Order: sequence, then structure tokens, then C-alpha cells
Amino acid sequence: MRSMVDDARIPKPGFWSNWSSWEEADAQNSLGHDPLLVFPKDKLVEEGSNVTICYVSRIHRDNISCYLEGVQIYGEQLDRSVSAFELKNVSFIRKRGTNVFCKVDQGGALGGIVLFVSKVLEEPKDFSCETQDLKTLTCTWDPGSDTGLSKQPSQSYTLFESFSGKKTLCKHRNWCNWQVAQDSQETYNFTLVAENYLRKRSVSILFNLTQRVHPMTPYNLFPKNVGATNATMTWKVHSIGNNSTLLCQLELLAEGKVIQQHNVSIKVNGEYLLSELEPDTEYVARVRCAYTNHFWKWSELISQKFNTAEAAPSEAPDVWRNMKMVSGHPTVSLFWKPLSKVHANGKILFYNVIVENLDKPSRLEVLSIPAPTRSTELTLDQCSYQIHVTAHNSVGPSPASVIVISGDPGNEEVESGRVNGTEDGFSVSWKPQSGDATGYVVEWCDGPQDLPCALQWKNLGPNTTSTVISSGAFRPGVRYNFRIYEISAKRMAHLLEKKAGYLEELAPSDNPQVVMSNLTSHSFTLSWKDYSTESQPGFIQGYHVYLKPKAGEQCPPAFEKTVLPEDSLCCKHTIDNPEQKTFVVENLQPESVYEFFVTAYTSVGEGPLDAFTKITTLDEYSHILIRIILPMIFCVLIVMIICYLKHQWLKEKCYPDIPDPYKSSVLSLIKSKENPHLTIMNINDCVPDAIEVINKPEGSKIQFLGTRKSLTETEFTKPAYIYLLPTEKNYSGPGPCICFENFTYNQAASDFASCGHFPVTPQAPPHQLGPLTSPENLLKALEQNYMNSLGEIPAGEANLNYVSQLASSTSGDKDSLPTNPPEPALCSEYKMQMVIPLGLASAPPSENSSLSSTTLLGQGEHYR
Amino acid sequence: MDLRAGDSWGMLACLCAVLWHLPAVPALNRTGDPGPGPSIQKTYDLTRYLEHQLRSLAGTYLNYLGPPFNEPDFNPPRLGAETLPRATVNLEVWRSLNDRLRLTQNYEAYSHLLCYLRGLNRQAATAELRRSLAHFCTSLQGLLGSIAGVMAALGYPLPQPLPGTEPTWTPGPAHSDFLQKMDDFWLLKELQTWLWRSAKDFNRLKKKMQPPAAAVTLHLEAHGF
Repeated sequence: MRSMVDDARIPKPGFWSNWSSWEEADAQNSLGHDPLLVFPKDKLVEEGSNVTICYVSRIHRDNISCYLEGVQIYGEQLDRSVSAFELKNVSFIRKRGTNVFCKVDQGGALGGIVLFVSKVLEEPKDFSCETQDLKTLTCTWDPGSDTGLSKQPSQSYTLFESFSGKKTLCKHRNWCNWQVAQDSQETYNFTLVAENYLRKRSVSILFNLTQRVHPMTPYNLFPKNVGATNATMTWKVHSIGNNSTLLCQLELLAEGKVIQQHNVSIKVNGEYLLSELEPDTEYVARVRCAYTNHFWKWSELISQKFNTAEAAPSEAPDVWRNMKMVSGHPTVSLFWKPLSKVHANGKILFYNVIVENLDKPSRLEVLSIPAPTRSTELTLDQCSYQIHVTAHNSVGPSPASVIVISGDPGNEEVESGRVNGTEDGFSVSWKPQSGDATGYVVEWCDGPQDLPCALQWKNLGPNTTSTVISSGAFRPGVRYNFRIYEISAKRMAHLLEKKAGYLEELAPSDNPQVVMSNLTSHSFTLSWKDYSTESQPGFIQGYHVYLKPKAGEQCPPAFEKTVLPEDSLCCKHTIDNPEQKTFVVENLQPESVYEFFVTAYTSVGEGPLDAFTKITTLDEYSHILIRIILPMIFCVLIVMIICYLKHQWLKEKCYPDIPDPYKSSVLSLIKSKENPHLTIMNINDCVPDAIEVINKPEGSKIQFLGTRKSLTETEFTKPAYIYLLPTEKNYSGPGPCICFENFTYNQAASDFASCGHFPVTPQAPPHQLGPLTSPENLLKALEQNYMNSLGEIPAGEANLNYVSQLASSTSGDKDSLPTNPPEPALCSEYKMQMVIPLGLASAPPSENSSLSSTTLLGQGEHYR
Repeated sequence: MDLRAGDSWGMLACLCAVLWHLPAVPALNRTGDPGPGPSIQKTYDLTRYLEHQLRSLAGTYLNYLGPPFNEPDFNPPRLGAETLPRATVNLEVWRSLNDRLRLTQNYEAYSHLLCYLRGLNRQAATAELRRSLAHFCTSLQGLLGSIAGVMAALGYPLPQPLPGTEPTWTPGPAHSDFLQKMDDFWLLKELQTWLWRSAKDFNRLKKKMQPPAAAVTLHLEAHGF
């Protein structure tokens, strides 16, 4: 054991005493009744130390296990009952200490210690002292890590001043107050001592009190007499001692930036006039102060916001106009831009528009338009007008902006050009027209053409011939039209040039609506007249006509082969004139399927690939057929109509009901055969035996005598027969006939019946008429009799029974079927003038009669 | 059953009158003297709550002590903790305890444990641990008051502390820090056992104090009837 004095008041280095003499201790005796003891108890060491732990036990060491924080440790046996463990470079674990314990494996005896490992005490950093009022010194430092444990309190700090010999125990870990003595001590030598159970650390500073003055924050900073361009700032400071002067720094900030800085020396009250301020602007004034005698530190800042007063606007508003004719009157739309904050000098309340007629003296027209309206419309007449526009705030008006409008709306035609857009905007240039231009104006619409125009303009100086128009509203693929005006000395605007351009051209977004016409077997025509080239997202340079011929077919001559994006082969024709909106596809194969598609193209590319339209060319002869067949059909129709209208006439001409015997073919047949003397019997040549007069009114309907009743509602008059010459007495036959003698007739006929009537009773049904009713029998009989008459019977011998051909028209009525065949009226039915057997001559006039007539005709033909 | 309209109105009026006077029925009035039953129930609930609270606190505190004290199978000998009141008792003995003795043992145990616990609080180095311990001490103080209430309700006097036997927490110079940690360990362990035993005690007491269900009668002192 040895010792040393450790006191701050005693200058270092101190001296250690000599070591004391060794003392011996018996471990076994110290054990007492405990089975196991662990040493050293509650040891306090610093981090990084090496510690030896030992235990004393009567139990064999093999039955004892020792642990450091739960982890078994293995030591060295010093003698029979004592073992030691060397712990190297121990570290801080917790404030309640590191647990080391040993336990007997059987029996449960347990002994242990707590090793308190403290963090190493650090030297205080950044130790400094200062005063705000020369009365109290405040010393501060960075204490470093806390060395407190449950066995050791946190390190203490003591402030010692060597000149006065005073010291104070600091209550806080990182700062301490020191009362300045009244004896005006100027120089101080402070020593700060940090101390715990294990170590002391100290740090010293030497300073002059007046060189460590850190003034308190100024207060009551206010603006006073604030005008449009100046303001007076006042503030106060805490006094430091007697007659001390402070240097204060006044800063003026606008929009966060320091724009003015002024130094002011004051004692207690500060005041400064800030000038060159902008009207109606928010400023921030801030002040800090320092001790004038010796600058140590600025005080904390104090800030104050204030606004300057308004002033009249300093600049005329930027005005532009747009002229148009409304209902025959020139109408001027006036637009103006809001004044910038710098020029408005306050809140603009309204705009005054004064209209002055230049052509004839009249009253000035004054319009007051409340802000923030930025346009107005004036309807004028054909005179010239001068328009003054002024902006007003609460203080007064701005200078006037003057513009002159002539009565002519100025729709003069000027050169149109194109302008290229770049990333920066549109580079517009123009050629000056007259030498007296006072400026130029470029106007345009910010939005696309199909939207209402948000008129924009840019004023340029008289010597300018080009400018770059840029706007955040410009979009790629939108056509912008620029108009360049020249402002004359009379403040009139004349249109110089028109320019159109795209910030960035795009490919067309839609394709033309194509109409197909004039389809032939070899060509068809495509047209897209409605396609507007103006409203496309780029300058249309032309059109591509795509044609898909049928497989294996070559492209028509005007087309070239190309490959579509989907890798299909196609024919393409390029039209390089954007105004050519028709195209004739020629040299096609007839009756073939083609597909076509038309798209416009710009410098960037062509429109989207839409669906192709199918078309089939016509057959090669179909047009010829159409030219022939249609007129033919027309002609046939005409003929049919005529025939229909003139059918009565035709009937009479072609197939009359009573044929002309002179025209009979039978006659010519007979003549040509054997009997050239045969002729048509003329009624004049015939001497009548009896004349039957039939009184028949016209228009009467057919009637059958057997029925004795009219079949229709028409009044019927029974024919009156006058028997001029009776042919046979007691004749009971129903119908009278006119009988002629004619040598051409078969004589046998007269033998059979005197008057040629078929002796059939009225009661006999038609089927009982005999075998002649059948066509075969009739034909046979006819043939036989005819042959007889031609070959065997000599002329003049025949006693013929002639049936008059002046038959009643009633017999031709097919609507009424006869029910009583042997009616006299039936005798009037026309029969062919030939030799007929008697039986046949009186054949019942049923439908068989007409049949026999037909048969005879057929027979006649048979003989040819 | 033949009910007429007049009967229905009469029954409704009767029911309304009963409901109107229901607060006046002493057996249902909670402001009346309910006997020791609710106090015992409350005390029982409090022991369960403290049991849960201590589980969390002991975990934090034993971690603060470090290994081996926070190891689950650590079971050191009761060297310096002999003065702590033991909760463990022979089952037969526990059953044979009368109510007064049972309550007295609980009261005395918690009086001692509370005192030791306050000493533990003073030793704690971290502010958070001190807050937790202080909160638990307040709760334990409440349990002590609750037991005292039960005893008063049953008419038992509170045990008077013998002079000179007031437990104190003054670790002597020979008392090593390791032994101190072992005492802390045993204090928390004994406290846990006591809370568990108290839950049993008050549960038993609760059942004992509960009158048989058949004996429950509703005395209707319907004023105005």
C-alpha cells in the first residue's frame, strides 16, 4: 500500500509515499462457515482493466464451476482450496455490474461477486466561459460519457478559479455559473475538474472578462414611418455595465435574401432609416448586436416583418388588339397583360380605356374595367381611333399605353410561310417593310386551332427582325400560326407576314376517309376531298395509296412493291402533292379482289395502318351486256304495252273471229289440187230458197232456247224467226235453217235429211249422239266423206245441205255450255265449207263442234 | 285464460309501478351494505391484476440484474432472504387456517414486501425501472388497503407491527452486492408466490362468504303498494 495527495490546490505532479509492508492472510480461515467464497467483493475497475478473480472452497475444484455473465470460465488452481481467474480487458456491461459466480455442482452452494466496470472518465471538451452582462459568467463544456454505476455516482464537476482561489461544485453535467466579483477582476483562470471514484480530469482556460461578452438578444424591433420606398426600424438592447456601447447589425431581407446590411452603434435604443425600398413589398428586418469594446460573439437575432406602402404603377400596361368585323362594324378586342409586381407598385384595382376619334372631334369615351379583367371589346365605326389604356392602383394611374386603330380591319393578304420549332421555341424572323417602324409585334394563339384562341403577343423593338417565341403551353403536334405586325410611327399595326409551324411535327393521327367511285373492270377512283391538311399534327407532304392485289399478281404500273409492318407484301403509290386528293387505280384485272388503303404522311411518318377496304373489279363483258340487254328489255316492254293497248286491232288483223274465206288456206289447197273451178261461194250468186230473218238486238247475251229463260239479268228478247219458205211439212225439228243448194256439197246429205238437221230428240243426252261424237270417229268419217266427194261423186249431182255461215254470235260464247244440243241456234255456228256427211252436219253444237273444227284444220295441214 | 282489455291495462300499470319503485328495493340497491363479498371479489381481482403486472416488472428487473438472475432455471439458496415472509405453506396447514389468520398473514406479508420493494426502487439506476417499480408499489399499497378493508368488513382488527420488527432495507457493509442481487431475486420471487397464494386465499374466502343460492330471497319492500 502507498499514498499520494490529490488536490487541485496543490500543484502537480504529486509524490507517492513508500509501499507499506506485506500482510499475510489465511484463506482457509477467512472461509468461516461458508462452503464457497469468491473474491474480490464488489470490485470497481475502469474499462480495459485486467482483473483477477479467485474463490476459496473446501470442496474439490472439479465439483465447482465458475461463470462470467452466465458463460463458464476456467481458472488456475493456486493451492488446494484457492483457484484464480484472470479477466483481461474487461468492458462495461451494465450499471448494476458484471456478475461472476461459482457454484458447487452438487449441493447447490453458490458464491459470487459483482465486478463494477466503469467507463473511463473523459476530459471535458469545449470548455469556455462568457458573460452577457459582466455580472455572471457562464461556463459550458461537453462532459463526454457518464461513468455512473450503482456502486459509483456519475462524475462530478468542480470549477476552480486560481486568481481568486474560489471554487464551486457544479450542479449540472455540462454547464456552471460563476458570479463575477464586485472588485472588477478582469482576468480569470478557470480550472474545470471532472472526478469519479477512479480518476480526475481537468481542463483550464485563462481569459479577460470583457473579451468574453456575449450580449443578450435585442428586443422590441419595430418598423416606424413606413412609406413606399423607406421605413425606420427601432429596437432596444440590454445594457452591459455602465456606458457600454454595442455594435448592432441591421439586415434587410426580401424573399429570403439579404439585400441591405447596416451597422449601428447604440447604447440602449437603436434606430435606422431604411431607404431604396420597393413599394408594396414585404421585407424582413433583423438585428443582432455585439460588444463594441471587444468583439466576441454576435447576440441571437431578432426579426420583424413589414410591408412598404403602395405607389402609382410605374409602367404602362402592354396592350394589343384583335380586329374583326361583327355585323358590318369593325370590332376591336383589346387585351393587356397584368403589370409585373415590380411595376404595379400595389394592387391594381381597375384599368381605364379611353377611346379618342381621330377623324372627327367627339367626346372621349372612357371605360373603367375592374381588375383582374384583362380584355375588353369595342365596337367602332369606319373612323380611326386612338385608344389609351392605363392601370390604376389605390395611389394613382400608370403611364398610358397608346394604340391606334384604323376603320379598316386590315384583312390584307400577306405572304404565308413556315417556321421551324426547336426545343427553345419558334424562331420567327421577318423582313422589314417600311423604314419608319417603331416596333414589331408577333401574335399567336397558345392553344390548338380547334380551341378558343388565348391570344398571346410579344412586343419587339424597331431594329429587331427576328425573335424566339417560347411558351410553356406549346405542345408537339399542334399547328401554331404566327402573325407579324409592324407598328408604324402613328402607332398603327400592319400585318407583315404569317407563319405556321409545329414545335415538333408528328405523324398523322388519323387517315383520310376515302370514297371509291367509277369502278370498272380495270380501274376505280379513290377520293378523300374532306381530309383537312391544316388540322394535322404536321405539315402533310402527300399520301400513300396502298393496294393489295390478289395473290401472285404483280403491282399495277404506278405502284411499287413494299412490305407492311405485319410483313405482308403490298403495292404502294406515293402522291407527293398534299392537295391532290383523288387517285385513279388503273391497270387492274377484271373480276378480281383488291384491297386498298390511303394514308397521309408528314416529315415524321405516315398515319396509322388501318384496315384495308376490299373491292372487286367488274366482269369484262358485263358492261357490254348491260348496254345491250337493258335497251332490249326496254323495247320488249314497249312492244308488250303497245300490244296490250292495241290487242283488238291486232285480233281483227291477225285472227278475227270470222275469218275471210278468201284468205283461207284450205281454198288454196283445193285449188292447187284437182279442181281449179272450185271457188268461194259468193252470196250474190246464191238464189235463196228461204230467208230467215233474225231479229237480234245488239249487246244481248247468249240464250238457249231449250231453257226458255234468260241466264242473265239482261233483258232478253226471244229471236223472232220468220219462216219465209217452209222446207218440209210436219217437220218437228226445233231450229229453222237456211238451206242452200250447192254442187260442191255431198248429195247424200240431202237424202238423209231434208234440211240437214240431225234427228236427235231434245231429251237425248250429249253422249247419246252416236259414235261421231268421239274425235276418232269424227276424223274417220270426215276422211271418208271427203274422199268420196273428191273422187266418186260427180259434180252437179250432189244435193247439198248448206249451213249458213252467218252464224249468230251467240254460238261463239264459250261461257255458256249447251245443255240441249239440237237447238236451232246452233246451226248458225260457222262450219268449214266442205262436204260433210249428213250425220256430221247435224252434229250437236257442243264443245265437240269446236273440236271438229280444229280437227279439220289439222286435217288440212295433213294434206299439204 | 280470459283476458279483457281492462285487465291488460291494469297489469301494465302494475308493471310500471314495480319498475318505478325498483331502485327502492334494498336487496337490489348497490348503495346499501353489501357485506364483505364485493370487497373480497375486488381483492381477488386485484391480486390477479398484480400477478400479471409483476410478471412484466420482474422480467425487466432481472434483466437489469443480469445473468444468472434472469435465467429461467436459476434457483439460488435463500441466503440473505430469510427475513422475507414465506408464502409457501403446508397444504393441510393452509386449509386449516381460519379467515382471520389467513387475512392477517396476507396483510403482514404484503406490509413487509412493500417495504422491501420500496428499498428496491431506491436502488434502481434507470429512470424507467424506477417508474415501473413506483407504479407497482402503488398498486401493492392498494392491495394492502383492500385486505384491510376485507378484515374490517369481517370485524377483524389489523395486526399491529411489533416495535423493532419494522423491516428496513439497509444493506450492511458486509452485505455484498451479489448477495443483494440474490435478495432482490428472492423478493420478486416471493412476491410472485404471495400473489398466487392470495388469489387462492381470496377465492376460498369468496366461496366461503357466498351464501347458498337457495337462501337468496328478494325482499320487496315496495313502498306505496
